[in-house]
Amino acid sequence: MRAPKRVNPLDFVSPGGRLLIDTSVFMDDRPERRGGLKALLERCGQQIRLNDNPIVIPTDVIEELTRQSRKVDPDREEAIRRAGVALGFIEDAAALKLMRTDIGHDATHYADSVFEAIFTRYANQYDMCLIINDITPLLHVRLLSASSSKQLVAGSLTSDGLVEVESDQTLYERGVRKLRRKQDEGDAREVAALSPLLADFKGQFGTAEPVDRRPGATAARASIGVATVRRRVEPFDGNAPFRGADTPIEVASIPGPGDKVHLESPAGRGWVVLDELLGEGGEGAAYAVDGDRVIKIFDRDHVTRHRQAKVEHFTSRSLHSEGICFPEAVVTNEAGEFVGYMMPRARGNEFRVIMNPRRFLKAFPGWTKADLVDVCISFLEKVSYLHSLNVIVGDINPKNVVVDEAKNVWMIDADSWQVEGYPCPVGTPMFTAASALGRPYAESLRTMEEELFAVATMLFMVLITGQFPYARSGSDGDIARLVKDGNFAFQVGERSNRDQPEGNWKYMWSHMPRDLKEMFWHTFHRDGNRYTSPPTADEWLRAFRRYRWWLGSDKNFDPMSNDVYPFRFKAFKPDTPILDCPQCRRAHALVGEWSEATQEHSIPDMCFDCRQQNRPKCSDCGTPRPPGALKNGRCRECNRKRDFGTCERCGKETPRRYLVDGRCSKCQTGTCKSCNKSVLKSDLSYGRCSACEKRAKALDPSRLCTDCRQPFIDFDHIEWFKSKGLEVAKSHAAIKKTCPPTTARARATTSSRTHRAPRTSPSPSKPTASKPTLQQQPSLWGRLQKWWNS
Amino acid sequence: MAFDIRADDLVENPTPRVPVSLCIDTSGSMAGDKIRELIEGIGLFYAAIDEDDDAHDSAEVCVVAFNSGADLVQDFASIEGLRRDVSISPSGLTHMGEGVNLALDTLEKRKSQYSDTGVLYYQPWLVLMTDGQPNGDRAALERAIERVTSMVDSKKLTVFPIGIGSDADLDVLGRFSPGRPPLRLQGLNFKEFFEWLSKSVSKVSQSMPGGEPPIDFGSIRGIEDL
Repeated sequence: MRAPKRVNPLDFVSPGGRLLIDTSVFMDDRPERRGGLKALLERCGQQIRLNDNPIVIPTDVIEELTRQSRKVDPDREEAIRRAGVALGFIEDAAALKLMRTDIGHDATHYADSVFEAIFTRYANQYDMCLIINDITPLLHVRLLSASSSKQLVAGSLTSDGLVEVESDQTLYERGVRKLRRKQDEGDAREVAALSPLLADFKGQFGTAEPVDRRPGATAARASIGVATVRRRVEPFDGNAPFRGADTPIEVASIPGPGDKVHLESPAGRGWVVLDELLGEGGEGAAYAVDGDRVIKIFDRDHVTRHRQAKVEHFTSRSLHSEGICFPEAVVTNEAGEFVGYMMPRARGNEFRVIMNPRRFLKAFPGWTKADLVDVCISFLEKVSYLHSLNVIVGDINPKNVVVDEAKNVWMIDADSWQVEGYPCPVGTPMFTAASALGRPYAESLRTMEEELFAVATMLFMVLITGQFPYARSGSDGDIARLVKDGNFAFQVGERSNRDQPEGNWKYMWSHMPRDLKEMFWHTFHRDGNRYTSPPTADEWLRAFRRYRWWLGSDKNFDPMSNDVYPFRFKAFKPDTPILDCPQCRRAHALVGEWSEATQEHSIPDMCFDCRQQNRPKCSDCGTPRPPGALKNGRCRECNRKRDFGTCERCGKETPRRYLVDGRCSKCQTGTCKSCNKSVLKSDLSYGRCSACEKRAKALDPSRLCTDCRQPFIDFDHIEWFKSKGLEVAKSHAAIKKTCPPTTARARATTSSRTHRAPRTSPSPSKPTASKPTLQQQPSLWGRLQKWWNS
Repeated sequence: MAFDIRADDLVENPTPRVPVSLCIDTSGSMAGDKIRELIEGIGLFYAAIDEDDDAHDSAEVCVVAFNSGADLVQDFASIEGLRRDVSISPSGLTHMGEGVNLALDTLEKRKSQYSDTGVLYYQPWLVLMTDGQPNGDRAALERAIERVTSMVDSKKLTVFPIGIGSDADLDVLGRFSPGRPPLRLQGLNFKEFFEWLSKSVSKVSQSMPGGEPPIDFGSIRGIEDL
């Protein structure tokens, strides 16, 4: 193992550097470290004052020292005394402009420790040195230093005022020892923070696994790596087979307000009265207990064997973890029957306040993108921990995750989680992977891939405040189909897709860092390489921690990338000019557009929105259009809307000038001249409806030919004679017809007559001048036949 | 930068919508208590949507009134954009077919707006309420029935046919809804119906067991009057 390196802090009080000290250094009572702070000031004092660059003691450190100095603990007497002394020391050093205490959480709102936040933000801006004893920040700074362009170091203070910086391997081993200690103590929060950090660290520096010397730990297990180490909190059976259908349990009574219920957990048992009803939901009611606990009592339909088994599994392990509402005690009624469970009380808003810009801006008005990333990180820490226990959340949706104002995320609704082969019986289509769609959720176990699809969807929807990854224009809104299609519309790199939904979503997407966009694209797009195996919670965790770092680093060159709602695309390159809009005065609203031809940036004269606003607007719909695109002050669509109407009968869109009484030409009505009925004009033939027309063409059966005794004249023809005041003809011959067919020729003539009838029915009444012609050339058919035979 | 209020409302809210079309009979026979209570019921419906966080973001309501013609009283709008001062004076005949056709046309237009802008939506609802029998154009009625039933069959529409009072023609209403029998509201219990309707809107986006969305006539208290 390499010996620690000693670094001179003097290098970090020059104008481009920063020197910072943590609480523990002031309280360090080890004799071999004594005198370190004095030696430090002696080394650096001159230079600090010369450069006006005092040592940074964050506000949080002052607060911590104040708290510590008030404590009473005989075992830590010396440390506590030193905390009190340190406060005076710092005050005096500050008066001499050797230290500053004005930096801290008041000015920012970081969830992580103040040092982590400062280092993440300024990693590429200053050379920084942190004097600290705690291993977690030491690991973090070392990890950051690997990707930073500046010198970043962290270590402990020696008695001669130097900074002792340990090797990667030593740091890693200290980290793993702390992780094991925290696992044994059951400190899930520390475990969730430390394990991915150690995994990253190991990945970055290739450090070797230390031997686990705890009783019961085998060398083989320890050498497998961090993943194994994390499983020290005994996980549930991840391979438990599906338990089959759930069945209800008959119970004598469901306790209500004022009723006594019994609690039982490994820690003890007792009775409690349900008094403060918090709310009633679809599955039962929730009551507050002891201020920070909640009792959920199921209604009759939801007291089931699966729920009982799940609650018993969870409570038997005494799982406690900040932000995860694990069942802590089984609740039974006075008859001793299972009716519910007790859990920690989550505080804050359901995630759905993030899922709608209007609600989001109201609930968290000052938030920036970094805050949303912090929320994602907190969410992922919880999910990662649950997954490490082989618990699948199942119904991940914006109502089952809660976030408070400090960005701490809470996972609720434990009785729906999938554990030990008991399925999660419900789901939400937007968060359901294609493979799980279309069948009842309770009928099978969710796979980890299906769970990770939901995780990815949730992350996307938090970052972009509510838009669904598969939303696209041109769809029929069917969520299940959109998921199944796997056609992710947001574009990255060359993969263009023009169907992104309207609105500012595309700008929000544009401002995400490229690697994260790639991750989302590969997860959501059916052609992506993570489509069937979405990234794990730990993979996302690393990506989001990187995003968080990126936001504060100088690699983030476009200030609008920090906004939750950017209103333009991200600037192309670090040297792209970014200016305020001269019309609306919004900051950073303009970006230069690079022109290959001129080899310089051209700056638009105003922002997109202002340009839109300055355009002429359609007087009907108000949409801004380019000049010249409006006719009569209206856009094409609105003119069409005005000029076209819908036929009230057939619904066909028709120019208004062709609509008569609200109907198109095909749907106009007319009156049949025979029966006076109102019918569609298109159904009229020579003014008659089809029924009358048919009747008129029929032969009158009561009038028979005087020669052949067959019906010979149609009603139309009879009417014609009557209308002329003539006597109706009495034979075929009288109406220029021949008696019933006896020869082919005669038949042909008759049929040709009938054929022509609808169009030439009045022809028999034509002037007699045409008669000889008709007689000489009987019919076209006859002539054709003659021509054929010739 | 609100230069187009309607478009902004549509694109800035990413919540999948539940379009609800109320197609109501305002013929002469509805005059008096019936129309007064119906309008009160609609007001209550709006208020219930407003109060419920889920329904507030997802519901979009449209109102078509029919008598001797059909009239679009309220085009599709979110709860923030709905006109609350609805006043209707009933008169004339019962042109139900024309009314339903107008409701469907309005729905088609809204759906194409959703599609153009990339807004997601759940299966639209059509609430058809009448206290009599249709006496408009026969062809228009047949066309309306044909359109509604084919949409219901292809799961593009959920229809709630409601007969008001004992004179309502349940046979015709039944033809609009092959699966679900029409519901007769007696004693003008509109309040309960609209309360149930708003709850159902909010349920659409909730976690569910999978398969069909839970729409259940059984939870209406007035169900005994069927």
